[in-house]
Amino acid sequence: MKMAALCAEFGDLAQIKKQLISVISLCKERGLLHSAKWASELAFSLDPLPKDKLPASPPFTEEDAQDLDALTLAKSYFDLKEYDRAAYFLKGCCSQKAYFLYMYSRYLSGEKKKDDETVDSLGPLEKGQVRNEALRELRVELSKKHIAGELDGFTLYLYGVVLRKLDLLKEAVEVFVEAIHALPLHWGAWLELSNLVTNIEMLKSLSLPDCWIKDFFMAHMYTELQMIKEALQKYQNLMEAGFSKSTYIISQIAVAYHNIRDIDQALALFNELREQDPFRIDNMDTFSNLLYVKSMKPELSYLAHNLVEIDKYRVETCCVIGNYYSLRSQHEKAALYFQRALKLNPRCLGAWTLMGHEYMEMKNTSAAIQAYRHAIEVNKRDYRAWYGLGQTYEILKMPFYCLYYYRKAHQLRPNDSRMLVALGESYEKLSQQLEAKKCYWRAYSVGDVEKMALLKLAKLHEQLNEYDDAAQCYMLYIQDIFSCGEQLEHAEVSTALRYLGQYYFKNKLYDEASLCAQRCCDYNDAREEGKALLRQISLVRDQIETPSADLFAPLSNNNTPVRRVSPLNLISFTP
Amino acid sequence: MASVHENLYFNPMMTNGVVHANVFGIKDWVTPYKISVLALLYDMTASKITLPERRRLNKLILPLQQGPDLTLGQFLKTVEECCPQTAYAVKLRMHEMADGELKDMEYFFSTLPTPFTAFDSEAYKTSVVGLFMRHMLLAYNKLSFSQVYKLYKSLQHYYHSHFPKPIDGQVSLPALAADDSEMDLTSTEDTVGDRIDKEESDSPLHESELRNDNTPSRGPLSQKQAEYFLARQAYLLKNDENKALKPAALQEELNNMLKFNPDFAEAHYLNYLNSMRVQDIFLSAHSLLHYFDRLILSGNEGKSNGDEGYGRSLRYAALNLASLHCRFGHYQQADMALQEAIRIAQESNDHVCLQHCLSWLYTLEQMRGSDSTVLTEDSVKMAAHFCLPYLASLGIQSLVQQGATQGKTAHKLMDALKDTDILHWKHSLSELIEISLAQTTSIWRMYGKSTMALQQAQLLLNMSSLEPVNFGVQQNNTEAFAVALCHLAELHAEQGLYSAVSEILLHLKEQFPPHSQHAKLWMLCDLKIQFDRHMHEGKYHLAEPLVTAISALNKTEGLYRKAQVLKALNRSTEAYSVLQRLQTHCEKTKCTEVVIRVMLSTAELHWESSGFSTALPLLLQALALARQHHLQSLASETLLHLAFTQLMLGVPQQALTVLHEAIEPVLAHGGVMDKGRALLLTARCQMAVAGFRPNGQGQADLHLAVLAADTLNEAAAYFSKLNCKERLRDVHYLQAQLHRSLGQTSQSNKSAMLFRLLDQELQSPAPPVSMRL
Repeated sequence: MKMAALCAEFGDLAQIKKQLISVISLCKERGLLHSAKWASELAFSLDPLPKDKLPASPPFTEEDAQDLDALTLAKSYFDLKEYDRAAYFLKGCCSQKAYFLYMYSRYLSGEKKKDDETVDSLGPLEKGQVRNEALRELRVELSKKHIAGELDGFTLYLYGVVLRKLDLLKEAVEVFVEAIHALPLHWGAWLELSNLVTNIEMLKSLSLPDCWIKDFFMAHMYTELQMIKEALQKYQNLMEAGFSKSTYIISQIAVAYHNIRDIDQALALFNELREQDPFRIDNMDTFSNLLYVKSMKPELSYLAHNLVEIDKYRVETCCVIGNYYSLRSQHEKAALYFQRALKLNPRCLGAWTLMGHEYMEMKNTSAAIQAYRHAIEVNKRDYRAWYGLGQTYEILKMPFYCLYYYRKAHQLRPNDSRMLVALGESYEKLSQQLEAKKCYWRAYSVGDVEKMALLKLAKLHEQLNEYDDAAQCYMLYIQDIFSCGEQLEHAEVSTALRYLGQYYFKNKLYDEASLCAQRCCDYNDAREEGKALLRQISLVRDQIETPSADLFAPLSNNNTPVRRVSPLNLISFTP
Repeated sequence: MASVHENLYFNPMMTNGVVHANVFGIKDWVTPYKISVLALLYDMTASKITLPERRRLNKLILPLQQGPDLTLGQFLKTVEECCPQTAYAVKLRMHEMADGELKDMEYFFSTLPTPFTAFDSEAYKTSVVGLFMRHMLLAYNKLSFSQVYKLYKSLQHYYHSHFPKPIDGQVSLPALAADDSEMDLTSTEDTVGDRIDKEESDSPLHESELRNDNTPSRGPLSQKQAEYFLARQAYLLKNDENKALKPAALQEELNNMLKFNPDFAEAHYLNYLNSMRVQDIFLSAHSLLHYFDRLILSGNEGKSNGDEGYGRSLRYAALNLASLHCRFGHYQQADMALQEAIRIAQESNDHVCLQHCLSWLYTLEQMRGSDSTVLTEDSVKMAAHFCLPYLASLGIQSLVQQGATQGKTAHKLMDALKDTDILHWKHSLSELIEISLAQTTSIWRMYGKSTMALQQAQLLLNMSSLEPVNFGVQQNNTEAFAVALCHLAELHAEQGLYSAVSEILLHLKEQFPPHSQHAKLWMLCDLKIQFDRHMHEGKYHLAEPLVTAISALNKTEGLYRKAQVLKALNRSTEAYSVLQRLQTHCEKTKCTEVVIRVMLSTAELHWESSGFSTALPLLLQALALARQHHLQSLASETLLHLAFTQLMLGVPQQALTVLHEAIEPVLAHGGVMDKGRALLLTARCQMAVAGFRPNGQGQADLHLAVLAADTLNEAAAYFSKLNCKERLRDVHYLQAQLHRSLGQTSQSNKSAMLFRLLDQELQSPAPPVSMRL
């Protein structure tokens, strides 16, 4: 095809724009609304073209002229969702456009009937059996044409969709790749392909056309495969190449930041997105998650109200409202809204998990377990659901039982410290200190988000009487806390300082000990102990400086027994 | 693009976030198959049928109502076998509906006898038939317009998939013969020979239903049908694994079921059992947890035995996890899971669950090899207190097992077993009865009473099943049967009946295929028998590779066998070090039997270096141990060793008296090899007592010499039975000498010739005759 001109380095934005404009009209004629929407969004972000540079409409063939009336009639029926009627009038048309619309309306009619059937099936057990009956016929016809080589880019795409619905995934991948080669600008085909790619090796093995749109696809794929760094790099390149105004790219970057929990960056981007596109609903559930994590009540409330005004029967809207109620601790209402989201789309993964969280808050563990299980059924790789299940069993005081779920979650997100800390805690409860230590240390080394791992590790060492290791961990902990700058609510710096003070004192490093003790005095809960320690230090220093008449004093100071005396005993010595 | 036509469907079954499979409380849905059953019932009530045919049809009703959906062909065939006339009527009725219009089906439902009016017919409202009809009518009346239409469509499909539509509109019923032959074709496909004769008597449906199970693509099952399927498969897995579906097929079936109804938790449990069969820890753990996750939900409603069901399932979830880890040998994990179960059970005062935990705890301790007698005793007491006969007698059986290895007196053990037997029969715990019999067999064998062991094993093997499900059918597929059969094989091997042994092992291989749980039992047994045989025949090079296989299955046994091979190959130092290692290990684990056997082997090593006097204390120690533990066969074996040592030390008179003590039990209970050896030794003692010298000098007691010759003949008979050529050679040598000294030259020459032949054949130089028993 003409439009498939290679343009790898984005030099010619005007050329890209031209291609986009022509593909938009092609998609619109065929009722491919989402692809048209995507292309239009991208085209909008580029500078407008002067009149003479606008692309010429595609050539009008003899066949097109023949089918014109039938096509117009059928398209209007199609737009009114009367698919069978559209198909009837298109039967026998020979132009490519008409043929695509004919097949597509048959496909959609089958899908629509399938959805209607599900509601009144002959019993619950038949539920899974409802199928799109048209698929098989479509496949037969399309494969005949496919072998004959009569399919264009759009019909190839449709053939791929049919194959995917019939669970013929391998064939579907091949056909989608073919469709992309025939018509690289059709984003729908790329998107379908992305759903079928399961790992990076498979992605590398695909032979894709060298078109500018490939970069969009790769960036999308990296996000899907949780390779966020690469994805961000790709998007950055695209921004620099001239797509900086595209709302699509901004939203994608924001989602990527959300996935690596860089909350501030993501929030900033979403705010920018809202400014540029105030009536957007897509991705707003992700935005609300971020606001929730940051406990930004007014912003979340504003967002919720705003979205309700735009469209209250959207899955995203319901999720946002659910998050809003959850933040206000009205968990029953939150659960209600998540249920509503699920009624709108039962395959909405996030809502199942979030509903599980709500039931957890309401202490309805059995409902929570069910919700999480549903989430796992929809997507086995949902680590949050596995983690949630683990938490549920932990609350039910079954630390061994929850290990399995935490392990699953950890397997899916090997570099997430939260699972590791949870695993460590469970091991600690089972008195498997060795494993617990490993978990905490690993959690620290992969970058601890909650900054709890080191503290727990230190306490564990303390319990096991490994004083040096404990001190080491407390040191690291304090460094960690102060280096991240902000104050964390649960920070237990005072505990660390207290321990370090005693530790240095025992090891007769009085300067360091007094430093720690002084710092202790900055915290309310450790002030008294800090002062006591300071007194002790000065006492001991006096003793050293003035050699006393007592013969045993120097002995007892230099001997090891002092080091073994526990802090409590030392306190009792002081007057 | 995918999101354009994303499912718009709304799930009416969902309220409050919880999916109820069954909002209207209807478990039955009208399916085309159900309609054909209805047609059958209708015809049965309407028409006159002869008495025997009616009886056969009546027997068919319940399985037809409760079984899974059959195809029309299968259904008609089963009916036809009982009453061809009714089958034809049903076919006609189905044909009327399927080839007619929607109104024909509606008419059929309206003509069904309403159970409330028909007082004297079989369709009265409380009868089985009436209840089924009422269910169906209710379900039919609840259908919406489009659902009725859909039902009719599927009915047409159902009918025409068996009887293809007539092309030229000619209304004709296909001939009966035609579909008969078709059915025959399908039925020969996968019915296994032995299955037919067993189940033919039962009902023809069974067979066709099994066949149905094997077909891969099947429609959805109704709830009842699914439950029936699961229950049956689970039962078969437990009791008769070979009759259950193959693991892969069962997995596929379950996946299919779960696809149609993901909320069917029991399927996950069966999945867990199935994965255990193929030792797949990953999948079994996954399914187990999934099952309990599901159960916790449904547990809310089913408040059985009064306490809140949901906490209850939590406890059992942890307990099941423990058993899973136990099964896979992860003892530490199992321990932790068990501790958890115990803690939760304690918190909620669930004594029954605690009791189960306790019995797992002692099992775990036992598996780890530590002493758990006290725990077991506690468990038995508590179980008796809480009236849990199963756990109580399981505990007693475990105690008996421990007691047997620790040298409790026989009568105490037997008393305990007898008491539990009374308990079993009272509560008809058939599983435990089997175990008890197998245990008795083992105990008798351990004590060396082979006849008693044989009798008990036969008793178990000839016993019919006591399970209510297939009552009276002889079945043998539990662990107890495997144990009994292994004992049987070993007992036969001892008597040198190797063809019988191979038959028994073949049967075992069929009953317990290599992947199954109890297969290790017969594998070890098979290896042991082969090893012994090679050792008897002097083919040490063949025995050696078996040692590795044995140690893979049982380390201790493997080590012992290794020492034996090394000893036979004259690598005494290595053998000695192995034996020492084994002895310390077994003394630690209180494995008395092996300890004694090790001592005997060590004594034999001492003989080889002519250290007869050093062997004596060892043998005496062994004898004391054997007597203390009532191990008769080992005691007599020790006595033989003792006698031999005495003979070598030059006190044959003494040896002969010792022998007199041992010879009786050996001849009564011992294996062929033992008998032969004992007789050979007796003969040698007799010769020595008679003052017989190898070079024929000195005056021998003629009477005793004749006696010795007889004994030797007997021994030779035993050895030739086992094809034990080395010992035969010894016997012939002694015979030749004896006959010569008695002046029977011809016999002497004959024996000498036999000796010469064997010597040439064996090639290996004969060890000094004095050096072995």
